[in-house]
Amino acid sequence: MFEAEFQRNYFELFDLPIDFAVDQQQLGARYRQAQGELHPDRYAGASAHEQRLAVQYSALVNQAYATLRTPLSRAIYLLELRGISQQELTSQPVDGGFLMMQMELREKLETSMDLVDPEPVLEHLIAEISQDIAAEQARFGGSWSAGDLPRASSACVKMQYLDKLLREAEQTEANLLEN
Amino acid sequence: MALLQIAEPGQSPMPHQLKRAIGIDLGTTNSLVATLRGGRPVALPDEAGSVMLPSVVNYSSGSARVGETAVALAAQCPADTLMSIKRFMGRGSEDAASDAARSHYQLAAGSEGLVRFSTSAGDLSPIEVSADILRELRERAVATVGGEIDGAVITVPAYFDEAQRQATKDAATLAGLKVLRLLNEPTAAAVAYGLDSAEEGVIAIYDLGGGTFDISILRLYEGVFEVLATGGDTALGGDDLDGAIAEWVLQQSDAPELAAGQYRQLLAASRRAKEQLSEVDRIALDLTEVLPSGGSITVSRETLETLIQPMIKRTLRACRQCLRDAGIEGGVDNVVMVGGSTRVPLVREAVGDFFGRSPLTDIDPDQVVAMGAAIQADILIGNRPEGDLLLLDVIPLSLGLETMGSMVEKIVPRNTTIPVSRAQEFTTYKDGQTALALHIVQGEREMVSDCRSLAHFELRGIPPMVAGAARILVTFQVDADGLLNVEAREETTGAQASITVKPSFGLSDDQITEMLQASFKFADEDMQSRQLAEQRLSAWQLLEGLKSALEADGDALLSTAERDELSDQMTLLQALIESDDADAIRQKTDALGRRSEAFATRRMDRSIREALAGVSLDALDEEAEQ
Repeated sequence: MFEAEFQRNYFELFDLPIDFAVDQQQLGARYRQAQGELHPDRYAGASAHEQRLAVQYSALVNQAYATLRTPLSRAIYLLELRGISQQELTSQPVDGGFLMMQMELREKLETSMDLVDPEPVLEHLIAEISQDIAAEQARFGGSWSAGDLPRASSACVKMQYLDKLLREAEQTEANLLEN
Repeated sequence: MALLQIAEPGQSPMPHQLKRAIGIDLGTTNSLVATLRGGRPVALPDEAGSVMLPSVVNYSSGSARVGETAVALAAQCPADTLMSIKRFMGRGSEDAASDAARSHYQLAAGSEGLVRFSTSAGDLSPIEVSADILRELRERAVATVGGEIDGAVITVPAYFDEAQRQATKDAATLAGLKVLRLLNEPTAAAVAYGLDSAEEGVIAIYDLGGGTFDISILRLYEGVFEVLATGGDTALGGDDLDGAIAEWVLQQSDAPELAAGQYRQLLAASRRAKEQLSEVDRIALDLTEVLPSGGSITVSRETLETLIQPMIKRTLRACRQCLRDAGIEGGVDNVVMVGGSTRVPLVREAVGDFFGRSPLTDIDPDQVVAMGAAIQADILIGNRPEGDLLLLDVIPLSLGLETMGSMVEKIVPRNTTIPVSRAQEFTTYKDGQTALALHIVQGEREMVSDCRSLAHFELRGIPPMVAGAARILVTFQVDADGLLNVEAREETTGAQASITVKPSFGLSDDQITEMLQASFKFADEDMQSRQLAEQRLSAWQLLEGLKSALEADGDALLSTAERDELSDQMTLLQALIESDDADAIRQKTDALGRRSEAFATRRMDRSIREALAGVSLDALDEEAEQ
């Protein structure tokens, strides 16, 4: 019960409007302010009970901050607030055109390693994925504001796909730099 | 016997008296203790004026001799002289066997799990050996600051895993220290520099110690130190460089197999050579005591640099990963060097080139960690006013559970800010399954066998249901020391199991208590007076805290009846505090603590409300009252 009750309040916790657009500076400032009051370090000399409470509160504030800070987790969280669970998101059908594009990008990533000079190809690929992510984020923001949940959900699923791909591409690039 | 303290009626006999807090850098090669003097951290010297205590313990007389005395005995009695013991902390004997052989230690026979060294003082675990080093530092501090220590912050490499952290905390407890916090070494260094410069920005801490390498990226902003990412290698440090030089010497001189004592001599000579080569271009390494043929061999800085190059490369790889994890744009503003090995000019050069900043070395790289720890200890013990700097640290390695097919499901990814609480739902996979075995692991790889196994526990009493119907919520909670607690609950019935993760290769709480009691360093009487002093202190802390809390919020948050009841209990404890009955004081303190819990909860709720701009936190109240 605690989980469900509280999760509704991540935005309210930092006194921010429930929206996809978040003022990062304000979020950061509120976060530091909250930890300044609640962190277990502030209760190092207190009773065991107070210390336990401080750990719980502080963990909660960390969780809220981590969720709101990055666009993808923020989007997933917003949908969750509207009753769309992660499972429902994953089981959503994705349009064929997007999947084809994903496969193409993935193939480019895989074949890039066989190239003599894979670096520029990888860099281009990463830029391309990043652009797609920005586009989906914009689509999510617009749909959310318009109250179009199905469209927002579809954008969120695509953000998940692209995020995974981006991380793989960055890892590939990292491995390349090491060798 | 303590002098009677005379206090004015209604006043605490220790009004705002500064408490004695220390910071300890428990290093692989050297250890230090520091405290605050006139607001500045200072490392405390021994009687001979030396602040560095070699982390070496000799047991040939049957009891512990720590530091230079032990170093002097190293060649003579290698099996009884334990060095670089930090490398063995929290490790299993199987895992540590090759390292032990290389160091010519004898592992006790039949010691499964926990490593034990066979010495003239009996079989000793790395925890006990570390406790002897910590005890030496505690005694040094007691002698210098003129009284028993109220609390200590002990530093650990940021990259230490759960088992290594727990082992360190256990060692401190064994040494009779109250641990305020385990603090990551690079974070401690950042604190020392942060206090110094108060400059905001992104800082990289490059910490190449005797046995471990750590890299951390932090941001200092508005009085808050936020660790953005941390990384490193727990098995890479100056020791490895000494070893590399020694191996090179052996290759060059075509030497026969060395005896343990001779190898120790060679290692010591290699270390001296390394240190001198930071200043001069070439030195002659004397082999008289090492090789039957004797003689000497010339080592040039060039040779050293060739030997060190692969190590530097490994550290820079970790730096690159850490920068990526930190996700910062625009690079770092400052680079801080920590650890004796960063004196090597080539290391400074390579790190400076990598970050595009010349590294800061204003504070002695050997002392900076202990100094930062002393500052944090002073804050935590309550010697500083509110609003002082705050540290937000992260976990260095991902925590997860074993799932089907020996795969790891990560619950808390690395570089997550602590404290953290993360829950995930699991279910049963067989019809009628009534128990669930949980295997907690730590590491980044996907297969269980590639990760560190932390603990096993079982959730029992799940009612028989069809596969997939049970809803089992597993919660990982990591506290501010980086220590893990795992809880599992079946949601439909409330069947519950929890475990404070005690690593497989550590000591149980009972063992620690036993050792503490058996410890010959604590005469019985000594022990009792310490306990009494500790009980009095915690009674005073509670009373003082409650007094100011009542003054501030008593009227607002308590009914008259509640307030009167608390005051009565406080008077009772106050009356008892000067007695010599430690047990009675403890009981009364505990009782008062329990009675004041509801008040504490209300106060904390209010402060979170105020801090977070007044939102409905009914859910929090509910949780708190459970």
